[in-house]
Amino acid sequence: MHTEAIDPPGIIWQRVSPKYVTVRLVQWALGNLITVLLLSLPLVLVLLDVWAWPPLWLAITVPSVAFVLAIWRLVLIPRQVRAIGYAERDDDLLVRTGIFFQRTMAVPYGRMQYVDIGVGPVERGLGLCTLKLHTASPGTNAQIPGLPAEEGARLREQLAARGEARLAGL
Amino acid sequence: MTAEGPRPEPGGPATVPAAGSPVPHPSPGTAPGTAADGEWLRVHPASPFVRGWVALAAIGFFVGRDVFERALQGRPILEDEFAGRAPFLLAGGAVMLLIAVLGFILTWYFTKYQVSGGYVRVNTGFIFRQQRQARLDRVQAIDIVQPLLARIFGLAELKFEVADAGESAVRLAYLKMDDARQLRATILARAAGVTLDPSRPEEPAPEAPEFPVLSVPPSRLVGSLLLSEQSVIVVLGAAASVFLTAVTGNAAFYFYLIPAALGLAASYWGLFNKGYNFTAAISPDGIRLRYGLLDTQAQTLPPGRIQALKVSQPPLWRALGWYRIQVNVAGYGIIESAGEGSGRTTLLPVGRLDDVMSILALVLPDPGTPQPAVVFGAGLHGLDSDGGFVTTPRCARLLAPLGWRRNGFTATDTALLIRSGRWWRELVVVPHQRTQSMALHQGPLARRFGVADLLLHTTVGPVTPRLRQADVGEAMALFDEQSARARLARKRQTTEQWLRQVAPGVETATQPAETKPAETPVPTQEGPQHG
Repeated sequence: MHTEAIDPPGIIWQRVSPKYVTVRLVQWALGNLITVLLLSLPLVLVLLDVWAWPPLWLAITVPSVAFVLAIWRLVLIPRQVRAIGYAERDDDLLVRTGIFFQRTMAVPYGRMQYVDIGVGPVERGLGLCTLKLHTASPGTNAQIPGLPAEEGARLREQLAARGEARLAGL
Repeated sequence: MTAEGPRPEPGGPATVPAAGSPVPHPSPGTAPGTAADGEWLRVHPASPFVRGWVALAAIGFFVGRDVFERALQGRPILEDEFAGRAPFLLAGGAVMLLIAVLGFILTWYFTKYQVSGGYVRVNTGFIFRQQRQARLDRVQAIDIVQPLLARIFGLAELKFEVADAGESAVRLAYLKMDDARQLRATILARAAGVTLDPSRPEEPAPEAPEFPVLSVPPSRLVGSLLLSEQSVIVVLGAAASVFLTAVTGNAAFYFYLIPAALGLAASYWGLFNKGYNFTAAISPDGIRLRYGLLDTQAQTLPPGRIQALKVSQPPLWRALGWYRIQVNVAGYGIIESAGEGSGRTTLLPVGRLDDVMSILALVLPDPGTPQPAVVFGAGLHGLDSDGGFVTTPRCARLLAPLGWRRNGFTATDTALLIRSGRWWRELVVVPHQRTQSMALHQGPLARRFGVADLLLHTTVGPVTPRLRQADVGEAMALFDEQSARARLARKRQTTEQWLRQVAPGVETATQPAETKPAETPVPTQEGPQHG
C-alpha cells in the first residue's frame, strides 16, 4: 500500500496479517447485522399490521439507511486492514491506522510502561493476536491488531528489551 | 479520647509522632517526630475523631434536637412508656458509642507509617489489613491539607502522590502540623537525593527555604469569580426569568429558582474558599502553593513534575489582563475536578501577565529562547507569526475562520508552545522531556485543505495539548523534530532525584546554614540538564 500524506517519508511499513479481515468481518457481522435486524423489526410489525405508528416509508428508510451504512463499512474493512501498519524505528515505534481519518502515532520505547497481548476467540482460531502499548498517558491508545502470534511475541520481547534499554522516568 | 495530647503506647516501641511530647526516647539527641530510619510511627490519636466527627455530630444533633424540642414544649424528656425502658436504651446507646470509639482506637492503633530505605510504607486496617509502599523518588507531589476541624486542633493530612492518575498513594491523616511539615521535608530531601550527614543520622532533614513569588489578592479573586463564565450564565438566566415573568405574568416559578440559587452560592463559595489567599513560592524542593480560607492546603510540586501547562484567558478577563494557569501532574489526575475540587491542578487561579511570566519561569527555569518575554507574550496574545509562531495556512482559514491566525506552534530548546483561540485564548506549554507519545491526525476535510492536527499525549489532567490545523508539511516536520527533541531531553534526564542532577548542589543541601545562598539558583541551574 502506498504511504499517505501524513506518514513520515521513507518508512517501510510492516503490515498486519490479511487474515485479520476475518476478525473484522465477524465483528462487523455481530454489530451491524444485529442493528439492521433490530431496526427492521418495526417494518415487519407494520407490514403485519401489528403496529400502526411508524409510517411505512419511515419503517423502510431507517433499516435501509442502516443497511447501506453497514455495507459501506463492510466494503471498507479490507482497505482499513491494509491501512494498519507499524514500523520499528531506532527510538520509537510508529503505528498508523485509517484511510479517511488517518492517524500516525510515534511511541518512544523509553516511554512504554507495559505491553499487552490480547487474543480474542476469533483471533485465537486464526492464530492472531492484538498488541497494546501503554504509556503514562491514556491518550496513547496504540494497538496493533491482527499480528500473527509469533510476530506478536517477537515484537513484545523486542519492545520490552528496547524499552528497558531506553527507560526514562515520567 | 480527644486531642489533649499523645501518650506513649504501653506495649509497643513506636512513639506517637509529636514534636515536644514528653515521650522518653532511647537516644537523647533525637527530636521526637523525626523518625530514625525504619521506625514505625502512628498518626495523631485524635485523627479518627476528626475524621469521624460527622457521624458523632449527627448522633449528637438528632438526640440533642429531640431533647431540646421536648424541653421547649414542656413535655417530659422521655415518654412515660419509654421511661421504664430507659436504662436499656441508654445501655444500648452506650454500647454503640463504645463500639464506635473502640473502632476509632483500633483504626488508629493499626495505622502505622515508616519512611526508610527509599520507601514510605503505610499499614492500615485491623480486619482487612493493607500494607502500602511507595518509592520516594517517584513522588509526583506532596500536599498538606488542613480541613477546618483539623486546623482547629492543629492537625494536618499529608498526601503523597505517585503517578497513578487518581487516588493518593499515601494519605496520612492526621499528623500534628509540625510533624507533617517535618515529614514532608524528610520525604522531599530523600526523594531529591540529599545525602544526610552520616555522623548525625538523627538530625532531621532541614526544611528547604522558600521564596515567595506571588500572591493573589482577595479583590482580584472576587473579580475573577464575578467575571467568570458561570456569572454570564447567571445573568442570562436572571434576564430570561424576568422576561418570562413579564410575558406570562406568572411569578410562581421563582420558587423553583431557589435551589438553583443555593447551588450557585455554594459553587461561588467553594471557589472563593479554595482560591482565597493563594500564594506561590519557590524552594529547592519545587513549587509551593498555599491557598484556602477555611480549609487550607499546601502543595509541593518537585521540579520537573509538571507534565503540561495551560495558560487561558476567557474573553471577559481580557480587559483586565487576567490569566489562569492549569497543569497536568501525574499524581493528581482528573478525579480531583469531581471530588476534591479542581484547585489542585490550578497553578494560578487568576493573575496578571507578570504573574504568568513568573510562574512560567518556575515551571520552565530555562525557557530555551533568548527572548522569553517576546515568545511567551506572543503565545499569550499574539497573532500570525509574532514570536516565531507557525500558524494555520491562509488556505485553510475556512476551517477556523476566527482562530486561524492564532492557531499555531513554536518550539524553544526546552518546550513546545501551542497557542489557540481568538476569544478563549489558550497557550499550552509542554516541556520536551515530558512528551509521552504523539500522533498526527488528519480527517478527510483536513486533507482537502492540506492541514493536519498534532496531538501530544501527556498524563491525565485538564490540559490536552493539540495543535490544530497546521500545514501538513509543518506538522510532519514538527512530528520528526519533536521526536528528536524529546529523545535528546530524555537522555539528558538521568535520574528522578532532582538534586542529584546538579552535582555541585548536592553537598550544600545538607547544611541548613548555607542553604539559602547556595540553593536559590538551583532551579535555574537545573534548567539545562532537565529542562
